[in-house]
Amino acid sequence: MSEAEAAPRALAAGFGRLIVLVYVVFAVSAGVRAVFQVVVKFDEAPVSFTLSAIAALIYLVAAIAIIRGAGALAMLAVGVEMAGVLAVGALSFAVPHWFPEPSVWSHFGSGYGYVPLVLPAVGLVYLFKRRKDA
Amino acid sequence: MIEWLYLAVQAAALAMSAWFFVDTARSQLVGRRHLIGVAALEVLLLVQLAVSIAIVPGEAGDGKALFFSYLVTTILVPVAACFWGSIDRSRWGIGTVAASGVIVAALMLRVHQIWELQVHV
Repeated sequence: MSEAEAAPRALAAGFGRLIVLVYVVFAVSAGVRAVFQVVVKFDEAPVSFTLSAIAALIYLVAAIAIIRGAGALAMLAVGVEMAGVLAVGALSFAVPHWFPEPSVWSHFGSGYGYVPLVLPAVGLVYLFKRRKDA
Repeated sequence: MIEWLYLAVQAAALAMSAWFFVDTARSQLVGRRHLIGVAALEVLLLVQLAVSIAIVPGEAGDGKALFFSYLVTTILVPVAACFWGSIDRSRWGIGTVAASGVIVAALMLRVHQIWELQVHV
């Protein structure tokens, strides 16, 4: 960690690198899944599938923002993601018939081992910490 | 899927991940021994792919394309993580590759689920 003081580290270096890997994997898997669902069976659960597509887009924006060192945009994307998973998670319990098929964020991401809930929390802590260091 | 082969892949992915996370805690850089570890996991995954190419087309379900897209993605994740992680000069280089082991385990869980529900029906 001593080189951290010597030169400014890229946002995607260090622990940010692990975060980017997870974001890219989620962007790809949620994205491909959303495209497949929207094309093949959109009418069955339009809310779920639209939300999955939006989630995939936000994951992609967050990953690219961190890779390119755009701290503010990364913060915005991860913040929207946090709000999204909390809102959709709560809604999926309150109005279950909107979600006949699960989306990435329904039930707080239980279908994905709650990673969709943990990831933005970890991301926000990391981004705030890096901004304070800078 | 051959059950013992599937379980071997899971065990290898989680073992690799645990080993690499220990090296993360010890602040190791990505080294030759790690690449050998990833290669071992990749060999198992490629065996899984070869076996799947042999048996999946003969099954009745309609989830074959889904099955193979997940399996191929799974195979690519540790390779991508190696490239992405090995350029890091901190402990999180190997930490990133360690995380890819957990991702492989999660994706293989999904592959197995697709096999049971949408391929081998």
